Amino acid sequence: MAEVLLKNIKKIYTNTESKAKKRGLFRKNEDQQEEKKINLQITDEGVVAVQEFTLDIKDNEFIVLVGPSGCGKSTTLRMVAGLEEITSGELYIDGQLVNDVEPKDRDIAMVFQSYALYPHMTVYDNMAYSLKIKKVPKDEIDRKVREAAEILDITQYLDRKPKALSGGQRPRVASGRAIVRNPKVLLMDEPLSNLDAKLRNQMRSEIIKLRQRINTTFIYVTHDQIEAMTLGDRIVVMKDGYIQQIGTPQEVFDHPANLFVSGFIGTPQMNYFDARLVKKDGRYFVETDGISVELAEEKQARLKANKVEEQDVVLGVRPEHLSIADKGIEGKVDVSELMGSSCHLHMTVMGKDVIIIVPTEGKTTNYAGKDLHLSFDGNVAHVFSKETEKNLEY
Amino acid sequence: MKKNANAIAKLKLLISRIVVYGILIFLTFLCLFFFYLMFINSSRSNAQLQAGFTMIPGGNAMKNFLNAWNDGSINIPTGMKNSFIVAICSALLTSYFSALTAYGTYVYNFRFKNAVHLFILAIMMIPSQVSTVGFIQLAYKYHLTNKLWLLIIPSIAAPAVYFYMRQYLEATLPLEMVEAARIDGSNEFKIFNQIVLPIMKPAVAVQMIFSFVGSWNNYFMPALLLNDAQKKTVPVMIATLRSADYSKFDMGKVYMLMVMAILPVMVIYTILSKSIIKGVTSGSVKG
Repeated sequence: MAEVLLKNIKKIYTNTESKAKKRGLFRKNEDQQEEKKINLQITDEGVVAVQEFTLDIKDNEFIVLVGPSGCGKSTTLRMVAGLEEITSGELYIDGQLVNDVEPKDRDIAMVFQSYALYPHMTVYDNMAYSLKIKKVPKDEIDRKVREAAEILDITQYLDRKPKALSGGQRPRVASGRAIVRNPKVLLMDEPLSNLDAKLRNQMRSEIIKLRQRINTTFIYVTHDQIEAMTLGDRIVVMKDGYIQQIGTPQEVFDHPANLFVSGFIGTPQMNYFDARLVKKDGRYFVETDGISVELAEEKQARLKANKVEEQDVVLGVRPEHLSIADKGIEGKVDVSELMGSSCHLHMTVMGKDVIIIVPTEGKTTNYAGKDLHLSFDGNVAHVFSKETEKNLEY
Repeated sequence: MKKNANAIAKLKLLISRIVVYGILIFLTFLCLFFFYLMFINSSRSNAQLQAGFTMIPGGNAMKNFLNAWNDGSINIPTGMKNSFIVAICSALLTSYFSALTAYGTYVYNFRFKNAVHLFILAIMMIPSQVSTVGFIQLAYKYHLTNKLWLLIIPSIAAPAVYFYMRQYLEATLPLEMVEAARIDGSNEFKIFNQIVLPIMKPAVAVQMIFSFVGSWNNYFMPALLLNDAQKKTVPVMIATLRSADYSKFDMGKVYMLMVMAILPVMVIYTILSKSIIKGVTSGSVKG
């Protein structure tokens, strides 16, 4: 385990590199290329993939980089791995500047999206390869491989080739190959994205267990916010190469720094309404569609501290925080989806699509086509600036 | 009405199958007939061969074999040995260095990478006869004739093999695997030898066979560069027998030598045919 410090890291693909990337000479697929072209900033120097990335990752911490395709999260991870050159900034692993250190000398291990298992080697040989290169004695290699296999429950597959493994076994072998070296930092690049939903859930808990068993610093990249929320000690939300917010999953969920984060974290995503933030007797209220809701004490204090003035805002309320009431914002239910313990109502409210989650509480009610009134509490309302899209509490 | 339509459909299917199988049988006949002819002729005497063509084998196979084996103008074991050295070395070196070059231009990013790739491909357009003149002159100027390595070394530069290897790599080698090996601590040369080359085994096998057969059957360059009887390869020996004067000319002997010449190739083909099919179809289906 080790502390990892990224100081003002920047990555620009120079024009030749970005051309090569477009031709697929790097490992991204065509769809991702297309998305990258849309999201990334193209300057005279080239394509800017990561900007002003500063993050202090503590010993033994599990950090998740999350964001949409092309946000720079994989590039950041690859820079930590040493697979991409750092254009500017400083990268420290365990207090050592490693900008120009070869990947093999950084004492890191990585689990790739495709797992990158060596197809001609058995599971045992795949796991033992890095140790053989380091010329570790054979009996020690055997002990370490079997120990890692035991942790990951793959002992019975040690003699198999990767081709003969199931979808759930491959990421385990890839993890085994990584942990057998006892690396300072374990990097994981969307290791579960190739699995079906059921297997992904199962593997997610396997990763949590793995984390509890081994002492190392994890940096995990995903575009799946559920993975980010469940795995990370802290999550780093990224967009267009910039960090949008760093915080614990709860912090990011409860206090999103801006509109992007509020929409990206949470499923279904947050609902937005045009509203006005007003001040009455030194107290903040949000007014929308004829209703006025007083914000909670904590929010009052923050807005006051920021000296926020009355203004038009974007009001954000999560679907689970909107409830059906006798009075409130008017809307019509278009579609009602029964999810089991709850019901997702897709509504049109003030000309916008809104989703609310209603607990079923054992009875089935068909809401489709009904006109409803919605209300919310002052502690779950998020107010974002219309101009900067930032959360006014920050 | 429906029964009638079904009968017509069946008849159409039958006709199309007859046509397809007919074409396939004809093509198979074209491929195998000349082999058959060679085996038949190798068992007939020179006089029988002069008399004309027949489909029935003669009884002179052993005699032809002994005649060829004991012919003073050629030494079959030496010829076979020379051919084998040239063919196997060429096959090994061609496959290895072409794979290495293809790996280099596929995995690494460097300035003029595409220009290098195109340049190598452009060499394919130059007929080998064009460069041969200069090569022969060079060989004679520096007294390099009658040396087997002179036939081996130039075979390393094989743009067609390079192109095949590059296509194979693009289809089968994810760059993440190379990166994984780098993180595992492997150096670049080890990555190629221990990770990439084993993955390329089917492609290497295919190109080794093609290269082996090409070198084994090569007559043009050995005929120009090898004058010493002890250095001659099998195709040059066949030509020597064919050009014997009228009194010594024995067509049965020539056919027998040709049979002996293709036997090693047939053996190698039989052993490695699985790899050839695997190599040719690889990349076409997602594994």
